[in-house]
Amino acid sequence: MIDVKNIYKKFGHLEVLKGVSCKIEKGEKIVIIGPSGSGKSTLLRCMNLLEKPTYGEVWLEGSLLTPIDPYLHFDVIRKSKTYGMLLEKYKSENPDADEEKADAEIIAEIKKNDLLKKREGKAYRQAIEALYKENHVNINAVRQKMGMVFQQFNLFPHLTVMQNITLAPTKLKKIPAEQAQEKALALLRKIGLEDKANVYPSTLSGGQKQRIAIVRALAMEPDVMLFDEPTSALDPEMVGEVLKVMIDLAKEGMTMVVVTHEMGFAKEVATKVLFMDDGVIKEANEPKEFFANPQDPRLKDFLSKVL
Amino acid sequence: MGIILFIGVFMSLESLRIRWERFWDTIVQPTFYNRVLLGLRNTLIIAFVGFLIGFLLGAILSIFKLLPQDKKSSKVFGTISNIYVAIFRGTPIVVQLLVAYYFLLPLFGITASGMSVSVVIFGLNSAAYMCEILRGGILSVDNGQMEAGRSLGFNYLQTMFRIVLPQAIKNILPTLGNELITLVKETSVVSFVGAVDLFTAFQFIGSSNYEYMIPYLMMAVIYIVMVVILTVVIRLIERRLRASDRR
Repeated sequence: MIDVKNIYKKFGHLEVLKGVSCKIEKGEKIVIIGPSGSGKSTLLRCMNLLEKPTYGEVWLEGSLLTPIDPYLHFDVIRKSKTYGMLLEKYKSENPDADEEKADAEIIAEIKKNDLLKKREGKAYRQAIEALYKENHVNINAVRQKMGMVFQQFNLFPHLTVMQNITLAPTKLKKIPAEQAQEKALALLRKIGLEDKANVYPSTLSGGQKQRIAIVRALAMEPDVMLFDEPTSALDPEMVGEVLKVMIDLAKEGMTMVVVTHEMGFAKEVATKVLFMDDGVIKEANEPKEFFANPQDPRLKDFLSKVL
Repeated sequence: MGIILFIGVFMSLESLRIRWERFWDTIVQPTFYNRVLLGLRNTLIIAFVGFLIGFLLGAILSIFKLLPQDKKSSKVFGTISNIYVAIFRGTPIVVQLLVAYYFLLPLFGITASGMSVSVVIFGLNSAAYMCEILRGGILSVDNGQMEAGRSLGFNYLQTMFRIVLPQAIKNILPTLGNELITLVKETSVVSFVGAVDLFTAFQFIGSSNYEYMIPYLMMAVIYIVMVVILTVVIRLIERRLRASDRR
């Protein structure tokens, strides 16, 4: 469903992601853990392009969200001037070399030394443009299918709870107001907050706000939900109510990507747990193995501190 | 000593009474009170229409400045906005009025009344200030609001207009009120291009019988009354918009 291919993210000179790849299939519940500053939130935000990856590609159900990264497409590399030059040089040096071997070695060399420049000739440019045109989709349309929940809730303070939930469905999906309100009420009933429909967010507790933020994202009927540390800004006694909503959601079969520090949640819900450190995924495993038998030394250290 | 003071006060009161009667005799004549009403009307038109133009243009200019800087076009828009603000904030409004009326109009062969030039110039001038006020307001709204809107699928401008600007305007309402009040008072310079406002109306009354004292005092009173009314209205709007803050 979501396919993250070798993404890098730099903020100025600080490299936060250093080549992260992961695939998320429909119905999977991925939990990403790791120390702060490891890039886990950035990875999540790259999935719906709230951060734009510096290199690499993000795909959602066969559509490309980011610009083309030529290093991920060998066909494109082969059309570049650099490739042509290297191939000639290679052939003159080893006249009777195997062609497949030559190709592999040249591509490896180009990738390793970052040899592609901006000007690589017309064929190269056309190949990139064609690939882009064929696969790229408008990010705004895609985001309607990817719900996101933030650490700081980010409810709209100038709108009531009901308006918060129905704004996007009525304006973007053109669902009639009454229908959207009915649906919003049904969702609110599920989390036990239907009596709060007409109040402003400032009157709610943190746990209530976060549950409503989840409902707001669900009202768009997304295919996948991204959670960016949804319980980190909550009082300890409110964490449970938010986690319960998330667990229910997981049981209903929602595809979820969750960045969190709640190890209990990871053990109970996750189909796969990723451990990130220093901008790369250090370990990825199903939760039982992940917690019982960690391989990476940094993960062992991390788990011994948090468990 | 006391007697002299008493006589002095009495005499000045007496002279005030005489001056007031002369003023009153003038103002009740249709020529004069119509002039005051026209001046009042023009003052309000220039201030309010100018405010409206300034607000809309200022909103556009401030968004130009705040466009995400990942495209070349947004840098161009940002520069346009910067130059605009530099020009209109960098020269006094009187100078802008004079340049527009005595230089630009003849240059392009346009005939326009001093009144319409004033409305436009007040709008353009106010836009430069409004741009910066709105920019401050937009920056005061937490970035998470923009992210939340974008994550739901709204594009940049939709999020800006539906989610960020309403909150920004609430934050800058006191400053916007300030700007409107400033505009009302600054209209007194439009006589430079021959428009009739409150100031020229009372000057006209004063010059009719060389009695300036009371007319100018009355003018001050009218300005104060206008500003006080505006202040109250702005406060009411502010209270309404703050409804969502109440706990």
